[in-house]
Amino acid sequence: MEKYISLAHGDGGELSHRLIKDVFIESFGDGDSALFDAASVDIPVGRIAVTTDSFVIKPIFFPGGSIGKLAVAGTINDLAVSGAKPVYLTCGFVIEEGFPILDLKKIVHDMANEAKKTGVSIIAGDTKVVERGSADGVYINTTGIGIYELNKGCSLEFEEGDAILVSGTIGDHGVAVLGARGELGITVPINSDCASLNRMLAEVLEHTNGVRIMRDPTRGGLATTLVEIAEDFQVTMKINELDLPVREEVHGVCDLLGFDPLYLANEGKAIIIVAQQEKEKVLDILREYPEGKDAVVIGSIVGKEKGHLLLETPLGSKRLLTRLSGTMFPRIC
Amino acid sequence: MRTAVKVAVQGRVQGVGFRPFVFQLADKYYLNGTVQNNMDGVKIHLEGEPAAIQLFLADLKNKAPRLSKINEIVVNGTESENAEDFTIIASERSGTSMLVIPIDSAVCEDCLNEMNDPKDFRYQYPFINCTQCGPRYTIIEELPYDRPYTSMKEFPMCEDCRREYEDPTNRRHHAQPIACPKCGPKLRLLGSHGEEIDSENPLIETIKLLKEGNIIAIKGLGGYHLCCDARNERAVVELRRRKKRPLRPLAVMAASISAVVQLAEVDNAESELLRSSEAPIVVLKKSCKYELAPSVAPNMGTIGVMLPYTPHHHLLLADPELPCLVMTSANPSGLPIVFKDDEATRYLEGIADYFLMHNREILHPVDDSVVQLNDGKVDFFRRSRGYVPDPFTTTSDVTGIVAFGGQQKTTFTIGRNEQIFVGPHIGDLENIETIDHYQHELMHLLTWIDIPKETAVIDTHPYYQVQRLVKEYNFLEVIEVQHHHAHMAACMDEHQLSGQAYGIILDGTGYGLDGKIWGFEIFYGDAVGFERMAHLHYTPLPGSEKCIREPWRNAAAMLIALHGEEGLDLAKAIFTDKSLEINILKMMIERNLNTVYAGTCGRLFDAVSAICGVTTVASYDGEAAIQLAELANEQLIYQPYPFNLEDTNGFTIDFSKMIKEISMDVLASKDIPTISGRFHETIVQAIVAVMVRLEKKKPMANKNVVLSGGSFHNRYLRKRIRAELLQRDFNVYVPENVPCNDGGLSYGQLVVAAAKRSANKCVLEYQQK
Ligand SMILES: [Fe+3]
Ligand SMILES: [Mg+2]
Ligand SMILES: [Zn+2]
Ligand SMILES: [Zn+2]
Repeated sequence: MEKYISLAHGDGGELSHRLIKDVFIESFGDGDSALFDAASVDIPVGRIAVTTDSFVIKPIFFPGGSIGKLAVAGTINDLAVSGAKPVYLTCGFVIEEGFPILDLKKIVHDMANEAKKTGVSIIAGDTKVVERGSADGVYINTTGIGIYELNKGCSLEFEEGDAILVSGTIGDHGVAVLGARGELGITVPINSDCASLNRMLAEVLEHTNGVRIMRDPTRGGLATTLVEIAEDFQVTMKINELDLPVREEVHGVCDLLGFDPLYLANEGKAIIIVAQQEKEKVLDILREYPEGKDAVVIGSIVGKEKGHLLLETPLGSKRLLTRLSGTMFPRIC
Repeated sequence: MRTAVKVAVQGRVQGVGFRPFVFQLADKYYLNGTVQNNMDGVKIHLEGEPAAIQLFLADLKNKAPRLSKINEIVVNGTESENAEDFTIIASERSGTSMLVIPIDSAVCEDCLNEMNDPKDFRYQYPFINCTQCGPRYTIIEELPYDRPYTSMKEFPMCEDCRREYEDPTNRRHHAQPIACPKCGPKLRLLGSHGEEIDSENPLIETIKLLKEGNIIAIKGLGGYHLCCDARNERAVVELRRRKKRPLRPLAVMAASISAVVQLAEVDNAESELLRSSEAPIVVLKKSCKYELAPSVAPNMGTIGVMLPYTPHHHLLLADPELPCLVMTSANPSGLPIVFKDDEATRYLEGIADYFLMHNREILHPVDDSVVQLNDGKVDFFRRSRGYVPDPFTTTSDVTGIVAFGGQQKTTFTIGRNEQIFVGPHIGDLENIETIDHYQHELMHLLTWIDIPKETAVIDTHPYYQVQRLVKEYNFLEVIEVQHHHAHMAACMDEHQLSGQAYGIILDGTGYGLDGKIWGFEIFYGDAVGFERMAHLHYTPLPGSEKCIREPWRNAAAMLIALHGEEGLDLAKAIFTDKSLEINILKMMIERNLNTVYAGTCGRLFDAVSAICGVTTVASYDGEAAIQLAELANEQLIYQPYPFNLEDTNGFTIDFSKMIKEISMDVLASKDIPTISGRFHETIVQAIVAVMVRLEKKKPMANKNVVLSGGSFHNRYLRKRIRAELLQRDFNVYVPENVPCNDGGLSYGQLVVAAAKRSANKCVLEYQQK
């Protein structure tokens, strides 16, 4: 077999057929639906959840994951935080001419692995090859279908005193990717937190009451996601700087580069806002999972008049946080 | 023959003893009628001999009380009402709003004399005041200014006070905060947890505690101060530790001018500023006799001093063994000044050993104003207590414009008719507490000034808080003004410059129109628009704000960007323990990772300060620049370093040669103050060189030059640039009434908006024709 993807792999002819057979069906299995045209599957009666996401990441392989694992986990998490049980995925590939087929196999293998681990079937897919220079390696789009199994979900109604939880340390993915890009000039022993959270979050929903909302703080980090919740639901939240779970190494890198862990991406973390009296129960469940072992309460809802996110600093003042916005131009004069 | 006239007086005429003054004048010239405060100012109805009325009007203008400021007197004939006497009638709460908001002022000589007179019934009374002194703006709930609408409404007057208050011939006639030991506010002393401390006399007890080295939170006029004995090093060090303020200079309050002279050099103009009714903190040169604790103003050649301005400050400093107190605003780091009693005990727990409180509520906190005399002119670091919100008068109608200011040292500014009201110093809009404070004060002033919400003005910086804040107010339009254009326009308006002018703006950081950080600019233009004639070559700030907090990063980045490998080696040779980080900075610059580009005077100072080893990591805003400036002596003229001017599209000033030579000088252990001086002079010469070239290029241009931006607090730069330009026949103007720093930004923003508005109107009118 060829070592690199050529334009012919995308023309629908013999090479395309072989690529699908050797790379995709090999990993995803050929099942009845894996004809890579239109899949027909059964779903139970009721509401379904659909989400789609495109993944472009540099580098494609990074400590703790790859674009493949990310493409599956990312979409699964989007379904999971909305309270749905992920069941099916589709995937589309845009591949640059010259991309190593071995790498593609690894990526597809990672996807299959992650899907299997989480009990999700990949039921349809598509591949396009573009000329060298028209894309950067490989881009993946995944669409996820989930079903609402439980008859309870997130209430989306908040009360003063509600606890804000995060399922583990923040900024790991952002720093791992920076490190893998060689932008630090030093090696940082940090893995991306890339992981599917569906089982953990399903158990939280099932066994506790009073979950207001769940979100995965990916791009833009914890702060941006919380600001969005605050503004969307007009609640004021206060988080405490000293309670934020941040790895020593992440702190170190942020210190060097002038980044703020609050704005670094995560790929395996959930924010859960829950009624005050239920927070211990939620924590107990989270901490039973390896992805949730560092879960903590970081703050609470403190008011309902303005959609503000406040960060209580060790000096006792409350910084008003805003969403991440491109380059942080200095404001200090 | 008897005639009748009505007189309308506008200006600062309320709360300054104007009505009793009018009463006494009427009495003197045998005139009948009435005087009344209304929303427009003071309204007088006069009946009597025409000659007597003329004399009255002359005195009205020339003999007005010291705190008053008359903008306009309008006299009109009217119907006689056959008045039989002259009376002061109750305030009228109607009329259009030209109303002036009275300002706080330092206790006057007359009151002090009474306070020190054992026979007076207000002997030693800490809240003595009269129509010419005392609290005003800080205690006002609603306008017009009248006791029931102030926090003095809690204190029903005793008979003695009421008699004075009602007696039109008394100097306390209608002194709204009038009080005495029987009926007025009282002091009390509390322990560190807010528990009442029993003492015969809380003041005497406080003095004793201060002498013992305690740190005491003292409620003053506009908020709480943290105080300790300024000569007790242990107490000052402890205050710094508790307030988490390691190095930033602390202000002191000295008992009298003779106590100030013990510390600092004071010339006549400075002495006048100190003793003025505004009583600001004046930054003075330390004298050779200076003997305060070293930690009050470490590594500084200057010291900020003020005189007692409330009666209880005078009483506190009456003890000859305690001539000087550290008096610093009592606020936890980054928060607005504490002014509510319950907040004081809460926020200052663990900082203050005791609290000296009083029960006259502060409704509008104000920080102390801070000024220096710079090249012979008043230079405001902060314009607040005593000055705010006294309006400026301009030449165009600015009604309906509200300028929201910038991010740091923020103020807002409101326009009404031809008046410009600059609000109090608010601070940095970083914390919700400060933002709330900003909105609270803005809301009050908007209500009092009462204008239609037409035009809001903000800085162009996309991440300044005001960008978000402005959306909470429903203005018809929002205008963005480039940071340094606002600095320039403010100074032009202050001096009523017409036509176009040069603006030399040396500043910290401001968002530029090209998405870069500006702050070393030479503009030519007016309030409507400007052309950028010259600027500093851009260098990277890898890590953005991190470079500002840690100037060594900025220095290393500058060396790398300007001198490549050689610069990298220099950086490593200078910052010997930062090799690893310097490599990372280089990588960040190469990959453009979290890196912004800046060409600003403030960042240039930071870099040089770090290269010189003066300040490599800043503990407060501007520390690196301030410390470096302290080393240059403005009485000397130094030898400049070499620099380059590139004439591309406008001039680019390139200091790369200077940066390299400074680095070599530092590595060769040359004298740091000399390096600092030479660096200062290089900036001066670069600006002069640009101006000389611009003159050749644009011979028809106006020769007016305004100097603004925070770097013009720098005494060397201001003096030398001004002198060099004057020598070349430029007319040079500097900000004298509003700060050249970002505290003056909102004023400039308002001026720009007003100019744009009238320019638009002109265009419209032209098009209609
Ligand atoms: Fe500025
Ligand atoms: Mg997503
Ligand atoms: Zn007085
Ligand atoms: Zn009384």
